[in-house]
Amino acid sequence: MPEHALPSVGRRRFLTLSAAGLAVAGLPRPSHAQARRSGELVAGLSERMLTLDPANHYSISSTSVHRHMFDPLVDVTNDSKFVPALAESWRPVNNTTWRFTLRKGVTFHDGTPFNADSVVFTLRRVKENTKLIKSFVYQDLDSVEKDGDHAVVVTSKRPFGSLPAHLTMLGMLPPSAGKNEEAFFQKPIGTGPFRFVSWTHGDNIVLSANPRYWKPGQPRVEKLTFRFIPELSTRAAALRAGEIHVIDRVTPDLVETLKGSRGVKVFDVPAVEAQRWIFQLGKEPVKDQRLRQAISLAVDRNVIIKELLLGYGRPVDSPVPPGLIGHTSLPPKVYDPEKAKQILKQAGYTNVSIDFVLMKDFYPKQLEITQAVAAMLGEVGIKVNIKNLEIATAREQRSAGTYDMFYSGWAHMPHDPDWYFGQWFTKAGSEKLTRYNNPRVEQLIAEGRVPDPKVRQAKYEELERILWDEEPEIWLCYTVAIYGVSDRLRNFEARRDYYVLLGDVSIA
Amino acid sequence: MRTYVVRRLWQSALTLVGVSVLVFVILRVVPGDPAKMLLPEGAPQSAIEELNRQLGLQEPLYVQYGLFVQSVFRGDFGQSFQYRAPALQVVTERLMATVQLALAAMLITVGVGVSLGIVAAVRRGTGYDYASTVLAVLGQSLPNFWLGIMLILLFGVALRWLPTSGFESWRHLILPAVTLAAFPMALVARLTRSSMLEILGRDFIRTGRAKGLAERAVILRHALRNAAVPLLTVLGLQIGTLLGGAVITESVFAWPGMGKLVVDAIFFRDFPVVQTVLILSATLFVVINLLVDLLYTVIDPRIRYS
Repeated sequence: MPEHALPSVGRRRFLTLSAAGLAVAGLPRPSHAQARRSGELVAGLSERMLTLDPANHYSISSTSVHRHMFDPLVDVTNDSKFVPALAESWRPVNNTTWRFTLRKGVTFHDGTPFNADSVVFTLRRVKENTKLIKSFVYQDLDSVEKDGDHAVVVTSKRPFGSLPAHLTMLGMLPPSAGKNEEAFFQKPIGTGPFRFVSWTHGDNIVLSANPRYWKPGQPRVEKLTFRFIPELSTRAAALRAGEIHVIDRVTPDLVETLKGSRGVKVFDVPAVEAQRWIFQLGKEPVKDQRLRQAISLAVDRNVIIKELLLGYGRPVDSPVPPGLIGHTSLPPKVYDPEKAKQILKQAGYTNVSIDFVLMKDFYPKQLEITQAVAAMLGEVGIKVNIKNLEIATAREQRSAGTYDMFYSGWAHMPHDPDWYFGQWFTKAGSEKLTRYNNPRVEQLIAEGRVPDPKVRQAKYEELERILWDEEPEIWLCYTVAIYGVSDRLRNFEARRDYYVLLGDVSIA
Repeated sequence: MRTYVVRRLWQSALTLVGVSVLVFVILRVVPGDPAKMLLPEGAPQSAIEELNRQLGLQEPLYVQYGLFVQSVFRGDFGQSFQYRAPALQVVTERLMATVQLALAAMLITVGVGVSLGIVAAVRRGTGYDYASTVLAVLGQSLPNFWLGIMLILLFGVALRWLPTSGFESWRHLILPAVTLAAFPMALVARLTRSSMLEILGRDFIRTGRAKGLAERAVILRHALRNAAVPLLTVLGLQIGTLLGGAVITESVFAWPGMGKLVVDAIFFRDFPVVQTVLILSATLFVVINLLVDLLYTVIDPRIRYS
């Protein structure tokens, strides 16, 4: 694969490469002899891992680590295609039943075989133990039953088309984990390409190669260490000093420094994430669609992307990023302050003042962007009060509905938009957030939950068109994920979901 | 002396009870919902309520406090919301890193700070004096964040003499310890200089020199020992501060200490961890202050407690 030879991968380049990658994926892969496994890889992650339990977090950094120890049933490629992992295949039996056929010959790190019991245990555990952070996603499951040793049938109380997507985030555990969970997660085992060695809390986790891994040729290094370095400048320094080989969450202003450093390359890729500002729709004045339209017209998104994000953002053409089911290309959001003024005048708005709430230091450049927006809206006669609040306090204000605009984002984590739609555009989901309420949209979301991708696509296209006109939120841009990578790495893929996956990466 | 110590211990216990009540109440009064911080953006309200129930946060405040006090006496500070592990275990793991860093920084503070102060006082008005003053001013005025990053860039990235960050060997300790020591070291240097200057002008110093004592003995045995009482007060307070955690230095060097832990715990409303850290560091602070007060009697026999 030619990625490693490129200093950075832009959108066009990425698309070409993905196409090339797909073509290559169709060919038989050369098998890498075990003797070729060598070296040690060190990655620097932005967030400290809090737990070794894959069902007990939604942290992206923790997922990056866990994916090397635990395999999910279903994997997702960088272009959001769902591909076999521990499940060889899966199909909907009907709208509320999925059948998964499991891969044979896979073993856990202790040698016990992976089979239907593991899946039944893992899924029942996450549903029944409501203390687990991921539990709420699985509450709509009805039953999880094995069908022989290598098949599992899952039924749900409602159509659950996004189940395979959610399963990409759930590592499979051996049933023996249930005997004493506390002891198990001190030294967990999975079926993944690496085995757990040690975890120094707050500092690093060390993994070693699993020589019996089921994917041929993987892993390609003997030892993999993840260091937790939340401070970006420190993470970058460690990369530049050659201590670590890859860092995530690079911000645009650091790109030039990294590009200028010897032995360091920068990869970027449009992420499955959108930057968005939500409106408080239950409250004057922004419940008025005309005012929201005026605000949307008065914001020059391209200037923000170019000047503040230094080009590391992509213009939005849909509430859902490209690649995901349901994405459809809609007319661009234009910058037209004159029209905005006209709408405001016609609607009789003079002296509008709105509160724009930020979660302090949550998104890179958010304060500068908000200040720019305040100036832009000032041009059309809307006064913006910026409230930069500590995160928990800001979220309380959002629950209470005491804001007009709120700086937010959404990473479409399981590469499926159902979660996003269900959360923000159903009455129940948005109750403590935006108070969005449109029965037609609600109906489309419910109808879009079936497994049939064609039905889902059609429902989502219709509902996105409604949202595009209603502007219940301002979509600023799709975020670009930026990684700093040592030029000694081969086969590194800059992931759109911010995962740092190194199972197939080798070091020169 | 014994009655004094007993009285001080009682006072300390009262202080700690006060701290625990304050921390407990403040955490629960400020806005912010632990379950909401733990669950991802977009978890349904029912999941938030369920998790808060699981965390025991639906009970009335006095019931929560009662349960907390009961379990503290059993050595159980509760389960960390974030880590899903005993809070005391989470904190003590980090405490070790903090203690290492604090002791290394203290060593530099005392070693370099006191030496600089002595030299500046003895060679008053010379180049040594000015140089040490400049160092002291720099140490007090350079922000830790900036100093840390500069040290990393110079010794880690450019020269590659020392690791940039992390918590592995004594080599990893050097840069963070120097960064953390910069401020107290400067403070100690200036304080040593001024109190040495005062002492060096006293009659007993002239007497010492007149009776033919070596200059070394005059300075170290007579002058420094007398200058040490105010120094000890400051050092006692400083070590308390250092042990409370050095958030900025820990962040810059990715040092897994208690300071960063507690700041994150406050952000995420991880009540058990915040309570444990604060009660633990309050205890350390109280104990160290008591020790310092008792040390006065050793250094200056004129001081007596009754």
